Amino acid sequence: MDPLKLEQRSKVPTGQEVLETGQRPHLPLGFGLQEGAMENRPRRFLQAFAAILKHSNYRLALEQYMRVNARCGRCNVKCQIFQATGEACDLPCHRSELLLSVYRRHFTVSGVLRGRLLGDPGLQDDTIDKMAEAYYTCTLCRRCQLECPMGIDHGLITHLGRYILSEIGIVPRVSAAQTPEPSPDSTGGAEANPVPALLDNLPLLREEIKNATGVDVEFPVDRTGAEYLFFPDLSDDLEADTLMGSAAVFRATGDTWTLGAGFYDGLHYGLFYSDQILEHALQRMRGEADRLQVKTIVIGESGYAARSAKSFYPGCAGEGPAQPVVSLVEYTHRAWKSGRLKLRANAISERVTYHDPCNFARDGWIVEEPRELLQAICSDYVEMTPNRRDNFCCGGGGGTVSIGELRSYRTSVGGKAKAGQIRATGAKYCVAPCANCKKQLRELMEDQGIDCQIVGLHDLLYKAIVFE
Amino acid sequence: METWIQLGRGPLFQLACALLVLGLLRIVVLALVELVEAYRRSSGRGVNWREIAGETLGWLVPVGRLWRQRPLYSTVSVLFHVGLFVVPIFLAAHVLLWKRVLAVAWPALPQTVANVLTLVVIVAGLALFVSRVASASGRKLSRAQDYAWPLLLIVPFLTGYVCANLALGAQTYEAFMLVHVYTVDLILVLIPFSQIAHCVLAPFSQVVSAIAWKFPPGAGDRIAETLGQGESSLPPLRSGAEPVSVRKKVHAQ
Repeated sequence: MDPLKLEQRSKVPTGQEVLETGQRPHLPLGFGLQEGAMENRPRRFLQAFAAILKHSNYRLALEQYMRVNARCGRCNVKCQIFQATGEACDLPCHRSELLLSVYRRHFTVSGVLRGRLLGDPGLQDDTIDKMAEAYYTCTLCRRCQLECPMGIDHGLITHLGRYILSEIGIVPRVSAAQTPEPSPDSTGGAEANPVPALLDNLPLLREEIKNATGVDVEFPVDRTGAEYLFFPDLSDDLEADTLMGSAAVFRATGDTWTLGAGFYDGLHYGLFYSDQILEHALQRMRGEADRLQVKTIVIGESGYAARSAKSFYPGCAGEGPAQPVVSLVEYTHRAWKSGRLKLRANAISERVTYHDPCNFARDGWIVEEPRELLQAICSDYVEMTPNRRDNFCCGGGGGTVSIGELRSYRTSVGGKAKAGQIRATGAKYCVAPCANCKKQLRELMEDQGIDCQIVGLHDLLYKAIVFE
Repeated sequence: METWIQLGRGPLFQLACALLVLGLLRIVVLALVELVEAYRRSSGRGVNWREIAGETLGWLVPVGRLWRQRPLYSTVSVLFHVGLFVVPIFLAAHVLLWKRVLAVAWPALPQTVANVLTLVVIVAGLALFVSRVASASGRKLSRAQDYAWPLLLIVPFLTGYVCANLALGAQTYEAFMLVHVYTVDLILVLIPFSQIAHCVLAPFSQVVSAIAWKFPPGAGDRIAETLGQGESSLPPLRSGAEPVSVRKKVHAQ
């Protein structure tokens, strides 16, 4: 088979085609191939795999998953991609098997011996093609893990598959374009919002809040010794409403906080496909926290940035005790619970529903906090089903939201389940405290013709804060 | 034939048991060593032990959670597993056998209960096999051993049931017993080398996944260095690189 066929991008399917036929045309996914990415791929793939196994903890998981995998197929009821396409190649277990079989064949004694005896040539280009597609079809939502009696985390395998591919130069175009070492005025964030753009906007936001509420809400930048260093959530745009709500909460609690002009965007593509990028981003975060001598790091409304900081900052950000990390949602909830933040009941009369970002809810980390806050300010709050840990992914998880070519796929196949859920609530507002989810859900509402406004949690809280 | 049965039930059974125990010990010890090593490398900060313990226990006693999805399949699967464990250990005739091998005895199941459980295993095993063959996704996922195991596992139950409950001629009885004894020996030896190793490894999965998600500090840089890529593993894009797409083979057909 030819390696990654160098044909031009195929026709992007319309949502209707996909939904009606139940067939998923291949992903119109463009890969930004780096120099030499197409040469000697199997050999380079195995070299990269070997290097990763040598220095990381993945072998532990591969050995375990390889031995316990009973192929029961329970995961298929959980995978919204499989549920939308019905294609066997979208089964989580099958997706993981692509990589597990390479591991078994090339990195276990029995696999190598059997390969020699049977004359199995081992990894070929077409398997790499399949992996490149499969690991970017998966949105890394990890919902399948909830139903695996063997405890296999297919999301981990997807992450590893992407990591190996990235080490041989196969990375979706958008991600690669936005992750090289940053220019001096870039934040290095996934969406590469430069610092000057943020700084220009802050006075405007301050003025807007003053006009609306009569309260002067500061946006401190580079304030040394503040209690909290805040990493706001960003997508293509500065999420202005969410940022105003965040600042307003800090103003209401009276805690000292600051943005860092050196590095202010917690989003990056590390957790999506490269442990090295992840670690570099966390180290820059640490550098900023040390420089400004803050006590705690607060991550804005981004499931991805929050989980990558919460899980990896303590271990990967450098020597010595690292600052604790909290999500802004947790911070706000605690402030409200302790009475330092006052919220006006029934401030929002329209129907509101809540979307659990996978990176918040899947491990049961942040589940009830946003609900309690919303119930405190909304008079018509409804749940979508399923919810909490069992929520559906927005359909653009795992960084796929940033791949423009995938929009039609994301809003038809990937987001099909989510669209149905939101439509069924009849809500005017869907709250999604995650920049990634918000972008995907907005596109989903637009493409599916659903009249629901996607907002952040702090967008609504902003309307309900009682300043004293 | 009697001699062969005695051989299979005596020394070969003991050998099979020894291989089973050693084989399982080996993979458990290897898993534990790798686990501790990985934990140490990752500095282990931020591991949610409570969550891990809860999920592990939850899946060991899957009451409630298994029935959330595919309730029929789950019920059949659980019955199959219960029978697989209980009958070989607690059947009266087996208790005597164990006593001879291990010099320890325990209470036996009433024969009727054992009979019912045996039939349950046979039916459930066949049902699992059929559901795998009948479903397109099951076929896509299955390797040869996934089809073979349910069938292999019910052979001793079938032959054992026949020997215990049907009036057979001496020769037929011995033939069934021979198959019974040798399939058991075979199964015991194969367990550590197959997916059935999940009987001892499954409880480690949650902690393994949690630790594997803890990346060792500096690993990314060391990997890039090993691959000769220096500081950044992602050099800038080739100038003028055209987008390429990956054709999905399944749709290309």
